[in-house]
Amino acid sequence: MVPEWLSAKDNYIPKEEKNLYIEKSIFSLIKIISIIRQNKNQDKLIYSINPTLKVVSVILMILCVSISRSFIYIFIIDIYVLINLFLMEKKSRKRLLLKSFIFPLVTLIALIPSMFYGNINNSLLIFQKLIITILLMNLLSHNTKWSEISKSLKLLFIPDIFIWIMDITIRYIVLLGEHSINLLFALKLRSIGITSNKYNSLTGIMGNLFIKSYKMSEEMFHAMECRGFVGEYTTKVNLKLKKMDYVYLAINILLVSLFIYF
Amino acid sequence: MHIPDNYLSPSTCATFGVAMISIWRRASLKVKKEITRQKMPLLGVAAAFSFLIMMFNVPLPGGTTGHAIGGAIVAILLGPYCAVFAVTIALAIQALFFGDGGILTLGVNCFNMAFIMPFTAFYLFKLIKKLFKNQKGEYIAAFLGGYISVNVAALFAAVEFGVQPLLFKDLSGLPLYSPYGLAISIPAMMIPHLLVVGILEGIITVGAYSYIKKSSPDVIYKGKVSKIKFLYIIIGILILATPLGLLANGTAWGEWGSEEIKNLMGFVPKGIEKGFQFNSPIPDYSFGFLNEYFGYIISALVGVIIILIIFKILGKINIKKDIKGD
Repeated sequence: MVPEWLSAKDNYIPKEEKNLYIEKSIFSLIKIISIIRQNKNQDKLIYSINPTLKVVSVILMILCVSISRSFIYIFIIDIYVLINLFLMEKKSRKRLLLKSFIFPLVTLIALIPSMFYGNINNSLLIFQKLIITILLMNLLSHNTKWSEISKSLKLLFIPDIFIWIMDITIRYIVLLGEHSINLLFALKLRSIGITSNKYNSLTGIMGNLFIKSYKMSEEMFHAMECRGFVGEYTTKVNLKLKKMDYVYLAINILLVSLFIYF
Repeated sequence: MHIPDNYLSPSTCATFGVAMISIWRRASLKVKKEITRQKMPLLGVAAAFSFLIMMFNVPLPGGTTGHAIGGAIVAILLGPYCAVFAVTIALAIQALFFGDGGILTLGVNCFNMAFIMPFTAFYLFKLIKKLFKNQKGEYIAAFLGGYISVNVAALFAAVEFGVQPLLFKDLSGLPLYSPYGLAISIPAMMIPHLLVVGILEGIITVGAYSYIKKSSPDVIYKGKVSKIKFLYIIIGILILATPLGLLANGTAWGEWGSEEIKNLMGFVPKGIEKGFQFNSPIPDYSFGFLNEYFGYIISALVGVIIILIIFKILGKINIKKDIKGD
């Protein structure tokens, strides 16, 4: 016999949870993974320039911009960066522009009180410099393969082992990120209404993530040893230049010499 | 706490960068000793872990969310030297690929979050754990390690911001970089960190630690606190103090020249007026024949060289001690 209370209709309505922390976490993880997995397609001009050259010139340009005090120079670089932006793919263009303007705008608002004390020129300089540096870095990361970027860091005297660890890190961000997305979905499915022990479940996920990463690193070592890893790792810098790369190089030399001129 | 480019002067970035190079060197030597080849991939995976920790949105009272930095939990789980690497790589990836924090300020950001934070957290954790010696004490230690370390790191960041207008001005006396002095930058950074971010970091640290302690306690770092801890503290203070002290202009508090005192107080106390004059080899940290800007850079370089010499000497003392110990 089915007891009566089991057949009675239950109209339990859980109280609505205002905290969207699980969704937000899932969302930011997905965003990170999608940026890493993004297709850096090769058919547009700016994507095909030698990555080593790009990394070196971007870092040099950021250095010049941050030292420079000349409005004219900063303005020229502004134009250069915007031209670069228009050479990008349509999809990423808008997102990049938005991304690189929000933070400088917040800074500009924070600088308003200081502008009242007459500090207008320098504040505007900081604002422009911020836009340029953020845009330059985002352009680089969106139009160049990441493995190539990390390889070309060798030119900056960064040891091979560090580059190797960085490559592992990027790969494992994806793997561990997917693992934690699964965990967060499991948590989301199981939480109905208001959860009283949010912190417990969330820190549990983090703890679990650590144990998982510990195990993964052991597995990875065994996999590497099976393939003949002896603890040495060397990278090669890609320095094959094409016609287009020389044009790019010339533009950059011109911009650096402009920095010296102003 | 990720300081972007152009908030700080290039010379500040260079100084911190060079300070970080010596820390990275030390850490790499230590890590090589501590870690077998088998665990080398762990560094990369741990870096991925500390990167992902920053992606978790944690609910805050009032319906909003925030995220922890995770430097403390990584330090407690893997030891401070591994944490230096893991957090450094996480920060480098953020700067290079995600545009969070600057390229030039990477040294400064690493100093705050990859050096100050894990070391404070780790030694505090060990110290408090020793004081209490029971299960609860361990959790209190983990919480305080997270809470205090993130606040110390924030304080460092605030000081780095705050000294900019003191040190770097254009010809008309207007600040070149971050324009707000210590009186504004310290409260602006410290109030949110003391009230919210620190507590968040503490809760995350204690929660993740207790979970791992319960489910697989053998993965937690068991290295002993070395006896020459004292030396590290001195080195840490030196790294902090030397660039600050050397970069400081004449207007640093309590270091006024007689003219500046006149400006400040309206008159010059007689004792100071007739007091001795100290002629430093680099007056006002600028060389007369160069413009002010290059003077600053050279002063910063001199500071860094002095740090390196002190490092060398301390290293020698350390070696001598070891020989005596044998």
